[in-house]
Amino acid sequence: MGLFDAIDASGSGLTAERLRMDVTSENLANAETTKGADGQPYRRKEVVVQEAGGAATTFASVLSGIQGRGAGGAGVTNGVKVAGIVEDQTALKRIYDPGHPDADKNGYVTMPNVNTVTEMTDLISSSRAYEANVTAMQTAKTMFSKTLDLLR
Amino acid sequence: MDLFDTTQIGLERALSGSSLRQQAIAQNIANVNTPGYRRQDVDFQSALAAAWDGGEHKVESVAPATEADMSSVMRVDGSSVDIDQEAATQAQNGLQYEAVSSVMKTRVNILKTAIGSM
Repeated sequence: MGLFDAIDASGSGLTAERLRMDVTSENLANAETTKGADGQPYRRKEVVVQEAGGAATTFASVLSGIQGRGAGGAGVTNGVKVAGIVEDQTALKRIYDPGHPDADKNGYVTMPNVNTVTEMTDLISSSRAYEANVTAMQTAKTMFSKTLDLLR
Repeated sequence: MDLFDTTQIGLERALSGSSLRQQAIAQNIANVNTPGYRRQDVDFQSALAAAWDGGEHKVESVAPATEADMSSVMRVDGSSVDIDQEAATQAQNGLQYEAVSSVMKTRVNILKTAIGSM
């Protein structure tokens, strides 16, 4: 059933965008963390997403495939999936602050490679994408209730 | 009026096409930030319009399918999804679905009236 697959696809989008927001928040929270759990300065994290592979394998889509009715979801995959969270390997910032407890012998502190402006832009981008997925889900729901309306 | 005539089958095909199109749009929106993603779309209207005069078998054989839109421009970050365009397409597709299902409901109501008056 196409509309349920549409709702699933939007749901996967919601999951991915929320995770992006979580990771962005973590980056912002650690923008000044000079010593993480491993003793190293914090490195900003990034979410890698990819298109969810494989055609839909729900009962309904397989059945409609057998019946040869085109709208069973042929060629449509299942939204988006998170491939992983990777650390940004760009250079860490170095600032001169001799009074800092983590300063080296020359007085330099290695700071995380978090740029707050980048993070804020990412946050806006994922929040807007989240809204778009909600709207898509709402549209599919309206369409489905129109179908149910035929029976009344 | 035949119970399941060309118009009825055509309307059913149109609803199937629209619902598959919504699936493709949802897929596109979910992948708005996916590098290398090509947007997909479903074009069933032209096939349905061409089949309409060919009788119910022609109409029944219209099979909506998704296709990758190769004309779309890739952004710097690699995804080809334009969120505004998807929103517009989605609104249009939703209204189209509503229109077709309203026509279908009217036809069902006419049938109900006919049955009730027997």
